This record gives sequence, C-alpha cells and structure tokens, in this order.
Amino acid sequence: MIDYRVYEQIERYLNGNMEAAEHAAFEALLHTDLRLAEKVREHKQMMQLMQKMGQREVLKQKLNVFHKDMEIEMAATETTPVWKVFWNRHVQTITVAASVSLLSVFGTLWSVQQLKAPVKQQAAHYVELRREVERLKKNQTAIINGINDASKPAPRPAAFSGTGFAISSEGYLVTSSHVVEGADSIMIENKAGLKFKVDEVYRDQIHDLSILKIIDTSFTGFDRLPFTFKTTESDLGESVFTLGYPREDIVFGEGSLSSSSGFEGDTTSYQISIPLNPGNSGGPLLDEKGNLIGVISGKQAGQEGAAFAVKSAYLLQMISELPSTATDGPIPLPKKNNLSGNTRPQQLKKLKDYVFVVKVYN
Amino acid sequence: MKKSLYETDVAIMEGIRNNDERALAYLYKLHYPMISHFILNNSGTDDEAKDIYQEGVIVFYEKIKDNTLELSCQIKTYLYSVCRRLWLKRLAEKGRYANKIDDSEPYLPLEDDVSRHEEQEKQFGVMASALEEIGEPCRTLLEDYYIRLQNMQDIVEKFGYTNTDTAKNQKYKCLQRLKKIFFATYKPEV
Repeated sequence: MIDYRVYEQIERYLNGNMEAAEHAAFEALLHTDLRLAEKVREHKQMMQLMQKMGQREVLKQKLNVFHKDMEIEMAATETTPVWKVFWNRHVQTITVAASVSLLSVFGTLWSVQQLKAPVKQQAAHYVELRREVERLKKNQTAIINGINDASKPAPRPAAFSGTGFAISSEGYLVTSSHVVEGADSIMIENKAGLKFKVDEVYRDQIHDLSILKIIDTSFTGFDRLPFTFKTTESDLGESVFTLGYPREDIVFGEGSLSSSSGFEGDTTSYQISIPLNPGNSGGPLLDEKGNLIGVISGKQAGQEGAAFAVKSAYLLQMISELPSTATDGPIPLPKKNNLSGNTRPQQLKKLKDYVFVVKVYN
Repeated sequence: MKKSLYETDVAIMEGIRNNDERALAYLYKLHYPMISHFILNNSGTDDEAKDIYQEGVIVFYEKIKDNTLELSCQIKTYLYSVCRRLWLKRLAEKGRYANKIDDSEPYLPLEDDVSRHEEQEKQFGVMASALEEIGEPCRTLLEDYYIRLQNMQDIVEKFGYTNTDTAKNQKYKCLQRLKKIFFATYKPEV
C-alpha cells in the first residue's frame, strides 16, 4: 500500500504537481536516499519513453492520413487508364511483334513478286513489226552524195518501213495500219524495181489493217493476181508461209499455224510459228495452196516462234464494208488461184511481184 | 489552403513549431516523390518507400519539436540524406549490399541524427515487447494511462475497479513488472 503512494509521489514530482514546500522536501530526500533517486530516474525514463511512444503513434497516424490524401490527389491528377498501363508494360513486346509481322508480310510479298516477275515479263509484250530504217547509213550516203553534187537537195530517208501486198489489179494494197501510222507520204517498191506513190484510203484501227491505193499517174494496173482469199478459218498445224521486207531484200519465211487465237486470246488473229522481224508487218500469210489466210501484224517479245497474223476473214469483211467515198466503186478481188499445185519456189516467183516494201516518210 | 504560405523552408519549420498540421502535410507531400523515386530506383518497393519516408519525416519533425535541429542545408537535402542513410541500413539488414547507389540528390552524412533516432526506435521496440510480455489487463491499463494519457477516473470505470485506489495499486504493480522486464532487456548503447 505504501509503495504505490510513493510512486504517486514520484509522479507528482516528475509532473511538477508538487507544491513548493513539498517539492523542496522531496528533493532533499532524493539527495540523501539514493535508492529513491534511482527509482525516480527509472520512473522518469519509463514515463518519458511511454509518452514519446504515444506522440509517435499520433504522428504516425497523421502521416498515414497525409499519405492517403496524397495518393488520392495523385490518382486524381494522373489517372492512368488501364490501356495506358498495359501499353507501358507491353510496348516493347508489341513493337517487336509488329515489326516482325510487318517484315514477314512485306518479305513474303516481295519474294512472291520476285518469283512472278519473269513470268509477267514473258507474258506482257506485243511487238509491232514495223521497221525503223537505219538512219545513220542513209544519212552518210546522203552526205557523200551531197559532197559530189551540192546542188541536189539531200534525199530524205524513210522513217519506217513495212510490207504490203496487192489485193486487186486496180492498184489497191493492204498493209498493217501501224506501219503507215502518222505518215506524210508513203512509197511502195517491189523486187522488180517498180516504185509507186500511194495514199492510205481506209484504216481499220481495231484489226490493224489499212488499204492503200496507188496514185501515181504512171501506174497502169497489175497483171491478174495469182492468189485468192480464204473465207473460212484455217486448221491448226497447216503449213503456212509469208514474204516480207525485214531488210532491203525480200525474205521468205515458213512455218505452221500454231494456234487459232492470237496475243492474249485475241480470236481475230492466228498464232504462227514463223520467225519474223521488224519490217514483216503487213506481209501476206498464205497456206500451201496459195490462199491468203492472214496479214502479219506482230509478235510476242521474248518468246520465239510466237508471231501473229490477222485472219483473212476480217480483211474481207473490211473490204466489203469499205465506204464508197474511199474507193472508186467496189474492189474486184482475184477469183482464180494460179499457185495451187505449184512447187514453193514457183509459187514465190509468181507472188513476189505483188509484195511491196512500204516506205513511210514523215 | 494557400500553398504559397509554406513555400520556404523557414515557413514550413515555423508552421511545424506552431503545431500547424497543414505545414507538416504540405512538407510531407512536397518531398515524397523524391524519396519514392530514390527507393524505387534502388531495389525498393512502394511500401518500403512509404516506411522510410515516414521515418525520415519523423526524425525531422522530432528534431524541430526538440529544438535540436541545426539545419545547414535545405529541408529537401536533409530528408534525402536521412532517408538515404535509413535505406542503406535497411538494405544491409536484408542482406543486400547495395554496391552502387543511384543518387539523384546531393546528401550529407548526418550520422548523429540517424543513430539517435535508431536508438530511440530500439527503445520503442523493447518497450513494446515488454508491454506484450506483461499481458492483459496490465498492458492496456498502462497504455491508457501513460501512452494515451487517459484520466484515472475513466480507467477505473473502463476496467470496473471499485475505486481509484485499487486502480492505482494495480497500475503500480503493473509498472513494477514492466520496469523489471524493460531494464533487464534494454542496454543503452549511447
């Protein structure tokens, strides 16, 4: 019972609740009673420590409140949406994945294109067989001639040349319209040396055919033409030949009818396996019996033996539909075939006078 | 609250001295990002950052309250230095020696302030375990009286003692035991 009263006294002393007289007496007692002094010291330490614990507790609670406030404020100011968090976390993976897929997609496209490229190249080109005449050579000759005779104007060389053939003894001829395209004047010349000036009287752009007419006054008419026109379609594998002017001299070409359709499925022409060159355009295509079955028009670039000729049926159709203004009345077509049954050289001999080189000036 | 009120360190310290809670709140929120950044950059977590920062603020706060603070730098630098020191100790306790600390701020040694704080923490720890040891109702009785500073009369009512004398007697006995346990365990290092 006494002990706790002592403690009460100590507490009152430490808290400064003693009255002056009592305080003085207690302090005096402390000086003498060392055990009491030790007790007071210990008690003081305990009390202070516990008090501090209390303060610390309060302070910590305050700080926790601040922390929560702050978190709320921060969340309010920078509410990072879910997708953003996701994005930030996975941005690297996504980037890598995206670049890999892009790379593979474009890589595949590129390699497929690489594989396809040569095929495409093979498929695409159609070459019209008109011939650009070697300017240089002619120019040179002209210059040399000019030196020899300065008074004469230099002859202008032809820009293009092709082949044409007579279809009636009145002086009508057929050639490819791309040969005479953009022409100022047209001259024709055959192996026998006959030379005439002609005019284009009609053009069928769709079938690439043109009708020419000799306008030279010196022209008196051809002999009877040796070949006839075939109105029906020729059969596959039939042996065919042509005459043309891929160079200065007439050239014979032979092969067979290899397809009944032309470039990219064009049903108005045949595919033929005759080696052709620029200048052959407009040449006649004949079968073994000397029937005209087509007009040479072009070939496929990069593929040998794939040349094309417009079917004679379309030529006949064009002739029959010729407007009367273009010609002096209907063109009388040859009726009798003189080639049938002849050997090839004989056929050619008869034929070659009616095949002309068409020279185009512009 | 006008933030500009506490924009200088002096104003903040003055505010804390005058028990202005807003000053402490302002200070707390002002420097947390810096410490959080530091802890997170040196292999800590958000919770650890919060712990360390609060300890740092407590050191600062108590120094001001004790009037023992001799601030020779900005509050920012002081807090950073204290927290840095505390975090290094914490890392060492975890057995992870930070061989390379990623510093974003200048710092001071401040050995004294930190070790005094740690000594106190140690005392608190011993006291808490001693309180744990004496058991109920002693623990609550003492805590109510000495820590939560409750009125003796309230305590009598709460514990159902017949009168204050019984309560005081009980309290004395409890304190006696606590003291014994506390001084048996606690050996001051300073």
